[in-house]
Amino acid sequence: MKKKVLLLLLCLIIPIISGCTTNKMYYFGDYSETLYAYEKNQNDESLIKHLQELDRVIQESKEKSLRVPPGIYAEFGYLKLKMNKPKEAVEYFNAESQLYPEAKHLMDRLINKVETQGNSELNSGAKND
Amino acid sequence: MTKLIRCLFSSFIVMVLASGCAPQTTKIEEFPRLYEEQPTSILILPPMNESTAADAKEYYSTTIQEPLAYSGYYTLPYVITSDMLKMEGIYDSELLVDVPLGKFKEYFGADAVLFTKIKEWDLSYLVVASTLTVSIDSVLKSTTSNEVLWNYTGTVVVDLSGGVGNGGGVIGLALKVVVIAINSAMAEYVKYAREANYKALATMPFGKYHLQHNKDQNIQFIDLTPEEK
Repeated sequence: MKKKVLLLLLCLIIPIISGCTTNKMYYFGDYSETLYAYEKNQNDESLIKHLQELDRVIQESKEKSLRVPPGIYAEFGYLKLKMNKPKEAVEYFNAESQLYPEAKHLMDRLINKVETQGNSELNSGAKND
Repeated sequence: MTKLIRCLFSSFIVMVLASGCAPQTTKIEEFPRLYEEQPTSILILPPMNESTAADAKEYYSTTIQEPLAYSGYYTLPYVITSDMLKMEGIYDSELLVDVPLGKFKEYFGADAVLFTKIKEWDLSYLVVASTLTVSIDSVLKSTTSNEVLWNYTGTVVVDLSGGVGNGGGVIGLALKVVVIAINSAMAEYVKYAREANYKALATMPFGKYHLQHNKDQNIQFIDLTPEEK
């Protein structure tokens, strides 16, 4: 009888425990907080803060041996492009498609744009390198 | 030990009761197309905002990627895709309803597209209980078959006062998300918006990057839509 109770308990506990482990998949830090601030007020300050947070997400993920979350490398590269750093941007776009093959289509489109037109179209009014 | 057993047993009863109220279906019965097509990349379209909150759109779109990623999907970076759509003159998905979905595969490489209508986004501050009430209508559509892969229509309520209130009963408490304190600061509010998105996505089958991918077909689908409204 006792064994049966224990077995029943085990059956209950295992799904509960395994449900808790899902949060270890990624490290997002304050990503949505700084992204919201940036979307709300697009200025140099909010852009730099968000870039710093993206960088922190990348570093922390590596430290914790977690996969960098979807889109983080891509977004980092894209914001670098806005800051007139196309070379760095392309590096991060490539990092994104290496980590997530489903991103390749979009990343290649962006890289192609940078290489053929500079970043003028993505960043109207800014000087090209 | 007996206390522990009693505690676990009562929680078991609660779980049975809670699930008993919902229709008895599994995830695969509810969303067969999604298991069939196995989409991995999702394009989040700018939401249509029908609520009175002007900020709802930003709150939604900046907090939706994280729960989708945790569900195991690859979310195409919203900052980039929304900019690209803006360049085409598209600011919200109202303008995209009639666009053939294959275009999104061609342009962004997306397997599926997430359309969302925000119907209500209300923050209410009361002495006893402060809540964020979000009503949305979300549909995930395939870019290859144009079929609906997953959808959610309903209202989620995030409790901002965190267990201080005494209403709701046992089941209500079990479903509540425990959050810390009332704080109207912007950064805090983002957290609640994200929590609402987590709740709304709770019925979505897991994607490629989740350990439970293709192992959750027979998990019971629990309809989280409240009965009233």
